[in-house]
Amino acid sequence: MNDSALRDQVHPTRFRDLAVTVDFHCNSACTFCIVQEGMNNYRGVPFERFAAIADENLRSHKYDRVIFTGGEVTLEESLFQFVTYARNSGGFRHVRLQTNGRKLADPAFTRRLVDAGIDEFFVSIHGDTAELHDQITQRPGSFDELVRGLENLSAHPVRRMTNTVVHRTNVKAFEGIVEVAQSHGVIEMEFWNYLPMEDHDDEANLIAPLTNGLPSLLGALDRCAEFGIRSVTKYVPQCMLGAHGDTLDNSQPDTIIVETFWDEFPRFACLYEAECEHSEECLGLSHDYVRKFGWEETTLTPVPRTRPWTPRDVGVQGRPDESPAETAQAPGGHPAWEALLEGLPGDAGRMIRVQLSRNEARFSLEFGEGASLDLVLASRDEDAPALLRTTSFNVFYSQVNGSYEPPHLERLLREVCDRIEARDDGSLSLDSRKGLVQLKRERNERPQVV
Amino acid sequence: MSEAATQSVVARPLVPTTEEDRYFDYCLQPYDPVRDPRGKLRSECLLWNSLDVVGAPPSLDAALRSVQATAGRDMTVFGIKHHAGRLWWELYFYDRLKEDSAVQADSIIESVSPWFSFAAQPRETVPYFMFSFDLFPDTAEGGEVDVVNLYLPYYEVQGGRSYKLSAAGLEMDNVYRFLHPKTEVREMLHEIHQSVFVDFSRVSLSQVLLPELIDCNRVCVAKKRFADAIYYSGIDVGQLLYFFRKFEYPEAIQSFVMEHRSEFEHLRFDVGIDYSMRPDGSVEMVKSGYYGTI
Repeated sequence: MNDSALRDQVHPTRFRDLAVTVDFHCNSACTFCIVQEGMNNYRGVPFERFAAIADENLRSHKYDRVIFTGGEVTLEESLFQFVTYARNSGGFRHVRLQTNGRKLADPAFTRRLVDAGIDEFFVSIHGDTAELHDQITQRPGSFDELVRGLENLSAHPVRRMTNTVVHRTNVKAFEGIVEVAQSHGVIEMEFWNYLPMEDHDDEANLIAPLTNGLPSLLGALDRCAEFGIRSVTKYVPQCMLGAHGDTLDNSQPDTIIVETFWDEFPRFACLYEAECEHSEECLGLSHDYVRKFGWEETTLTPVPRTRPWTPRDVGVQGRPDESPAETAQAPGGHPAWEALLEGLPGDAGRMIRVQLSRNEARFSLEFGEGASLDLVLASRDEDAPALLRTTSFNVFYSQVNGSYEPPHLERLLREVCDRIEARDDGSLSLDSRKGLVQLKRERNERPQVV
Repeated sequence: MSEAATQSVVARPLVPTTEEDRYFDYCLQPYDPVRDPRGKLRSECLLWNSLDVVGAPPSLDAALRSVQATAGRDMTVFGIKHHAGRLWWELYFYDRLKEDSAVQADSIIESVSPWFSFAAQPRETVPYFMFSFDLFPDTAEGGEVDVVNLYLPYYEVQGGRSYKLSAAGLEMDNVYRFLHPKTEVREMLHEIHQSVFVDFSRVSLSQVLLPELIDCNRVCVAKKRFADAIYYSGIDVGQLLYFFRKFEYPEAIQSFVMEHRSEFEHLRFDVGIDYSMRPDGSVEMVKSGYYGTI
C-alpha cells in the first residue's frame, strides 16, 4: 500500500492497524447495521489465516495494533484463541476489541478479556438515553448493559473509546452521548457518518442531511474538547466541520474480511475535489447521499488548494498480507512492450509508463534528478530520421524535461537502444491493419470475411 | 427487440486481446489499460454481444467486419444505443489530420456497399474531423443510411458541433464540449445549467450529473436539438455495470458483462445519457449509449 491508497474509496487504510473479522453473529439489531444481510452470508476469518498474518507481522512489523471485530465479536468463543495468539505473538503493541459492550456487563467476562490481552475497548453507543439507544439497537436493556460494561472496565488498566453512528434518529443526542461517555472515563470518541451498505436507496430513511445533523455534531465536538476527550469524525465533508476539521480521519485499518464486503462498500464524490485543499483526506459525500440530497454544491465550501491536485489512484489494490515484492511485480498495461526495456539499470533511468497510440509506442522515462523524456517507437521507415532503426521500428526521443548531465542522457539512450535492438524480433508491430486485410472483391459482391 | 433479448444468447467465440491491441476512448484518444490485458477480452466483444442480443442478421456482422478490415483494427469507434428496450448502433470514424484515406467517408461507404447504401455522401473538402452514421438491425439487409453526421472542431477549446447530412441537405444538429470533471468543474456546471430543457430550480443536479460516473477521465456536455446530454469517458467495468442497471439495459447484455467482468477489467469505457424534463418536473432519460472500438 502507498499513500495514494488512503484516498482510494474501497480500501482506505489506517496503515498501522489490522482489523480481523472473527465472526458475524450479533445480539443486537441496530437499525443502521451495514451487514444485516451479510450476517447470514459472511464468514469469519479462519484462525489459521490470522495466525499466518500475525507471524508475518512479527517479521515485518507492519502493524502496531490488531482489532478484533464482527458482527458482535464477544459472542464468538474462538475470540480468546485469536486474542491470546495476538498477544503471545509479540508483534502487536495493542490488541483492541470492537464491541457493542453488552457482554462487558458481566465483570468476570470482562476480566477474562483483559487477562487474555485486550488493552483497548472500542464500544458502540448510539443514544444518550436508554430509550433512544435501545430503540436504535432494537434490544431493550442494551444501553444499561453497555454502561455497566464501561463501569466494569474502569477496574482495569485499559483504554475506553466509543463509536457513534451519526444518522437521522440520533442527530439531537450527540452532546448527551458525550456526557455519558465522559462520566465513564472514555478518552476517545469516534463519530461515523452513516453509510448504507445494503440499503443504498435509504428506504429506512437513516441518512441525515448535512444541514440537519451537523449543528448537533459540532456541539458534541465542542463538548469533547472541553472534556479533553479526543474526537474523531468519519465520512463528513471536512469543510463542514469548521474549527473541528482536524478531527476528520477517514482512514480505516487494513481489514481481513470476505472480499465481497468491498463490492458493497460505499463510494464517495465531491464536485470540488480538485479545488479543495482537503481533498486528500476528505472523501466528500457518499453516492447514496448525493442521490438523496444532491451534490450540496452551494453548501460545501472548498478551501483553495495550495498544492497541485492529482487524480485518485484507481490501480490494483494489494491484500493486507501482500508482500512488497508482489506489489512491485504487479504488471502494467502493455507487458509485451514493457518487456522491451525490462532490466533497465536503476541508475540509468526508469520506465514510468508505455502508451500505444495509433502510430507509435511512447515510453515515458525518468532519469537523473527529476529529468524525463519520451522514447518513441514508430513503424520502421527508411526515409524518416531516427536515433536507431530496429527490425520493426524507428526509435527516437522527445519531450526532454528537467536538468541533467549530458552523459547521463547518453547512458540512458544507449541502455534503451541496446535493449530494443536486441529484443525487437519483429513480433511487435505498429501497423494499424496487422491481422486484418481488406479482401479483394468486385463491387457489390459480398466477400467472405474471416 | 427480438425474443433473443430475453433469452440466453447463443455463445460465439470471444475475441481475446493481443499484444498489439491499442486502447482508445470514444474520441480515439489512447489510454493506458487499467490492468494487465493478457488473457482478457477486446471491447469489440460488447458489439458482437449486442448484435446477438438483438438478433441481428449475419449481414450486419459481415458489414461491420468489412468496416473493421477497411479502417484498421481498433480504428472504428462503435456506440451501442438504447432507448425503451430498443438497441441500435452508431459507428464513428476519426481522421483529424485527414491523413488516412482508409477512414474517410468514401472509403468506408465503399466498404459497406455490398450490404447497404448511403443517401448522401459528404464532400471531403468539409473540414470534418469525424463522421458517424447509425445502423439498425436490418440496415445491412439492403437498407439505406439516410443521415451521416459530420463533426467539426472548435478552435482550441475541446469540443465541436455536428451537422446532419441527408438527401435534403445539411442542418446543424448538436454542440459538444469536453471538460475534466474535477479540474474544470465550474465550466462543467455552467454548461450543464445552461439548459432550455431542464429547470434546475425543480431538478437536482445530481439527477443528471451522476455521482457513480463522475469519477472518469472526461465529461462531455452536449446540447442537442431536443435534449441535453452528458457523456462520461474512461469509466471502469464496475461503473459500466452500474450504468446498465440504472438505464435498464437488456438482461442478456448485463449478464454477459457480469459473467466476463474480470476479462473486461483492463478496459475503460465511455457512456452517454440524453436527458430532458417532463412537464411534472421529473427527469426523462431520453436515450443512452455505451462505446468501444473494433
